[in-house]
Amino acid sequence: MKKECIAMLLAGGQGSRLHALTSRAAKPIMPFGGKYRIIDFPLSNCANSGIDVVGVLTQYQPLQLNSYIGSGQPWDLDIQRGGVYILPPYQSAGEKGEWFKGTANAIYQNIAFVDMWEPEYVVILSGDHIYKMDYSDMLEQHKANGADCTIAVIRVPMAEAHRFGIMNTDNNGFVTKFSEKPKKPDSDLASMGIYIFSWQKLKKYLIEDEADASSEKDFGKNIIPAMLGNGEKLYAYAFNGYWRDVGTIDSLWESNMDMLSPTLIDLFDPTWPIRSRSPIKPPHYIGENAEIQHSIITEGCDVRGRVTNSVLSNSVVVGEGAVVDYSILMPGCVIGSGAVVEYAIIGENAVIGGGAAVGKQPDGMCEIRITTCGPNSRVKANARIGAGEMVYAGKEER
Amino acid sequence: MPDLHGIIYAYHSSPELGELVSLRTSASLPFCSRYRLIDFALSSMTNAGVRDVSVIMQRSYHSLLDHLGSGKDWDLSRLSGGLTLLPPFGLFDSQFGEYRGCMEALSSIRTYIREIKQNNIILYRGDLAANLDLRDIFETHSASGCDVTAVCADKNAGCTGKGIRFVPVHGTSNVSNLMLFAGAEHENALPSLEVYIIKKNLLLDLIDWCRANGKIHFHRDALVHYLDSAKSIGLYIHKGYAARICSIMDYYTANMDMLKASCRNDLFSDDKPVYTKGRSSVSTYYGDMASAKNSLVADGCYIEGELENCVLFRSVRVHKGAKLKNCVIMQDSVIGENANLNYVISDKLATFSDGLLLSGNEHLPITVPKWRTI
Repeated sequence: MKKECIAMLLAGGQGSRLHALTSRAAKPIMPFGGKYRIIDFPLSNCANSGIDVVGVLTQYQPLQLNSYIGSGQPWDLDIQRGGVYILPPYQSAGEKGEWFKGTANAIYQNIAFVDMWEPEYVVILSGDHIYKMDYSDMLEQHKANGADCTIAVIRVPMAEAHRFGIMNTDNNGFVTKFSEKPKKPDSDLASMGIYIFSWQKLKKYLIEDEADASSEKDFGKNIIPAMLGNGEKLYAYAFNGYWRDVGTIDSLWESNMDMLSPTLIDLFDPTWPIRSRSPIKPPHYIGENAEIQHSIITEGCDVRGRVTNSVLSNSVVVGEGAVVDYSILMPGCVIGSGAVVEYAIIGENAVIGGGAAVGKQPDGMCEIRITTCGPNSRVKANARIGAGEMVYAGKEER
Repeated sequence: MPDLHGIIYAYHSSPELGELVSLRTSASLPFCSRYRLIDFALSSMTNAGVRDVSVIMQRSYHSLLDHLGSGKDWDLSRLSGGLTLLPPFGLFDSQFGEYRGCMEALSSIRTYIREIKQNNIILYRGDLAANLDLRDIFETHSASGCDVTAVCADKNAGCTGKGIRFVPVHGTSNVSNLMLFAGAEHENALPSLEVYIIKKNLLLDLIDWCRANGKIHFHRDALVHYLDSAKSIGLYIHKGYAARICSIMDYYTANMDMLKASCRNDLFSDDKPVYTKGRSSVSTYYGDMASAKNSLVADGCYIEGELENCVLFRSVRVHKGAKLKNCVIMQDSVIGENANLNYVISDKLATFSDGLLLSGNEHLPITVPKWRTI
């Protein structure tokens, strides 16, 4: 079955820098912005861009991810000729099955899946970015340039450029130089980890890269430098909107806080809806003595206390007299009566006992330290969990 | 899977619902921030494993069709069976698909009923706000040996809405007396929820008897005829919350009931979830100056003003300084800056200008029609 363009979404990463939060589930399934999971952003972008075949490459803790994606119906991707496909590592006859060794190897192992659709172009996406982007516009530019590869780029502050894949381009966007996480960056154009490749070209490089024992099988480290070195046509696609990599606790917290400023990213825009699988929950209830300001609240919540500057996913309970400030409460977590939670990320179904104090910043500190309680973790009544601490499910209970 | 086929009647709306039903049937009335009344009937079927469900409709059913779609939100989009829509169907001897009563409506779909595989049919009001345990009702029906089981509310449950009442025979769970008129007083009378399980063959017989005798009503004609032949009806008493929505006041009261945890928990429990049509919206945002007390709010709202004792549907916008008290605001309505609303039921997509003052009172909430700008 022929499709002009399909998408491959890399969703197998562990997200080890999120520590307790991703100990039981992959990063792309992380709740975000109240209503969403991180993977809703690339999936919705695909659906809105008219890409109706999406291969989702899974590896680390895939159970929740698989059941969340299901038939793809919430993103309108449950269609007869296409749809969303979960692609775990698998075993072939006569070969020893193996894990995905890197981003490029994950696609290499699924060459047969891509070939099934005979696409001209393949979009490579990550499952850990928050942004709204029209891939069809990027594809138009890719075609107009006659490019072999188009890389979406965004300008970043020079001081942070060393954390990204950095590109130098000429006036037409033609990539002249690419350096992965350079120590001394000479450009502020950072790769967003979103690529469009002409499939036959990419396939050739994937096969060559696989044969190279010294390669790390990574797009940024191996495939892009190899193509550039061979004089293939690489172009940058400039993106100006909101884009965040939410790979660390700090960036996850900051990006959630950004959702409280609708000027940064407009999620109310009906022309580019970000869709998600809804839990079956009644509306949220705000109690007689509740106070809510500058916050996001989702269906199924029951708020009796004071919530400010916070993001609440579905079915969160905030007891009478509890105070929640600058925090992210993931689905089903319970904040006991009189508990105080500040500058914290509370994982799914975690329970903070009554009167506990979580995340109090020490006086005189100028740098915020985010406290995290992992999914299903328990904090005892009246316990004190200091700024920057991490509570793991089952491991710690204080 | 119970040997049960669902028929939901959504063809009739009480005229006392006024403007709320000028463009829709009462079964598709928005309720409790994100539902339509028919969600309760459909969800209780799904939760009990009833897989074949049909909906009878007659007028103003555009909003109902829009809501139901293929039935997939209730898991009723199936390869065989699932949801069947029954719009007016004019047989040659009927009045071109116009039916005046339940039996006439059933008569027009007699061929459909004849083909039903199951031996029992549950007739279910589309405008009933109750989370019935159909599995339990069906078991009670099967164990009773009765051909008809009527579902009633508990006498003390404070079921709102007028209508049919049943009086149980002393010392048994069966009924002999059917009290037909609103307000009929009897110390043991139980308000009927107008939900019945009836044997398919009996229903076909009653349809034929009604057609032959020019009768059109289910209670007044068919059930009275059945009881007259010295038969009795089984009774099932639903203990939880139930509201029949027959007037604007019923509608308002039932929505306000949802602010009470006891009523809300009765209708929405994790073991009997209520499904509804999905709408992709953002979480609700509360601004810096917002305040909310004792309110239910759906997703997608943007609230910068103040709420107290309110039920807000999806994507309502409340601008700065606006004060809403004791209001039911349906989806996509916009409340302007410093507007002050009290006891207002706003239909969808209504707009309230900046500074507007509008107040009904607890006995007479003001109803604002769909699309209206004030």
